[in-house]
Amino acid sequence: MKAITFIAITLLAGAIAGTILGIINQVAVEPYIEQAIELEMHNTAQSGQVINPAEFAAYRFWQKGGEIIAGTILGLSIGSLYGIVFAYTRGSISGTNNNKKKALLVAGIMWFVLFLMPALKYPPNPPAVGDPETIYYRQSLYVAFLAISGFSALGLAFLYRKMVMASSNNTKKKAIIIIPSAYAAIMAGAYLAMPANPDAINAPIDLVIGFRITSAITISMFWALLGVIFGAFWDKANFISNKIAARHN
Amino acid sequence: MLVGNQITKTSEGVPRIAVGILLGVLAFGVFIVGFDQGEMLGFTVPADGSGSEQGTNWAHEFYHDMRHAAGFPCH
Ligand SMILES: [Zn+2]
Repeated sequence: MKAITFIAITLLAGAIAGTILGIINQVAVEPYIEQAIELEMHNTAQSGQVINPAEFAAYRFWQKGGEIIAGTILGLSIGSLYGIVFAYTRGSISGTNNNKKKALLVAGIMWFVLFLMPALKYPPNPPAVGDPETIYYRQSLYVAFLAISGFSALGLAFLYRKMVMASSNNTKKKAIIIIPSAYAAIMAGAYLAMPANPDAINAPIDLVIGFRITSAITISMFWALLGVIFGAFWDKANFISNKIAARHN
Repeated sequence: MLVGNQITKTSEGVPRIAVGILLGVLAFGVFIVGFDQGEMLGFTVPADGSGSEQGTNWAHEFYHDMRHAAGFPCH
């Protein structure tokens, strides 16, 4: 596959999955965000500030549209990382030669490492939760935890590849146990060592839990879609480039 | 042996230029959707046009809902 083809299918798969995420969130996650923002507005109104309802509705309409564009951009960027990881790892995935299955497996592992792990330590919150004063602190905590998860997975993936390449079957079997256990140990340590989110949750707990579950479902769907779409594109692009190569011979 | 062959074949097949470009897209996209507080795009303009200190980061506002929905820390 040519570099340009690889870039194109990677970006396209990411953009499609991300845009679908933005659209689905309009109906899945927005009701929670709306509810949270109404709460905020209620609090603002009580503090004496005047809000023009028509203006605010127009503003929210614009902001919801932004979520779709943001979905496209987020999909492009997560998709980019995913494409790189897939290209480097697909050769080390044993057990199947099916690229579509491999694509889904890579998406599943990245979902686990980059979404689920940070979300367990620092669960997503709707608007109305969170103190603007602590945003930089919360961002650093989140990035640190994300980095610990991501880089230990990366390091262990290299180690896994090394162990699998060592031809003894015994080493391969060991790798399948040792590598995930090492990751689990690192993450358990980080989970215990890192400080908690400093902000108190002062929104209704039903709203917060509903938001967390729904947004986790749509993000998980995004990762699955990314894997499925990318896998299909990868096979298609390979098929076409093989055909062209065959014609030139 | 078979596995070893596959690995050498595929890791040679990843073009550096593609990796570079995609990493650029990754950094840019994740930053503006997930983390930008107005540092990056300079879209921080006064909400009421008065030029006061209090401003609105329009890029942040535009990507705001997805930032929450994707699990990034926000307000
Ligand atoms: Zn927010």
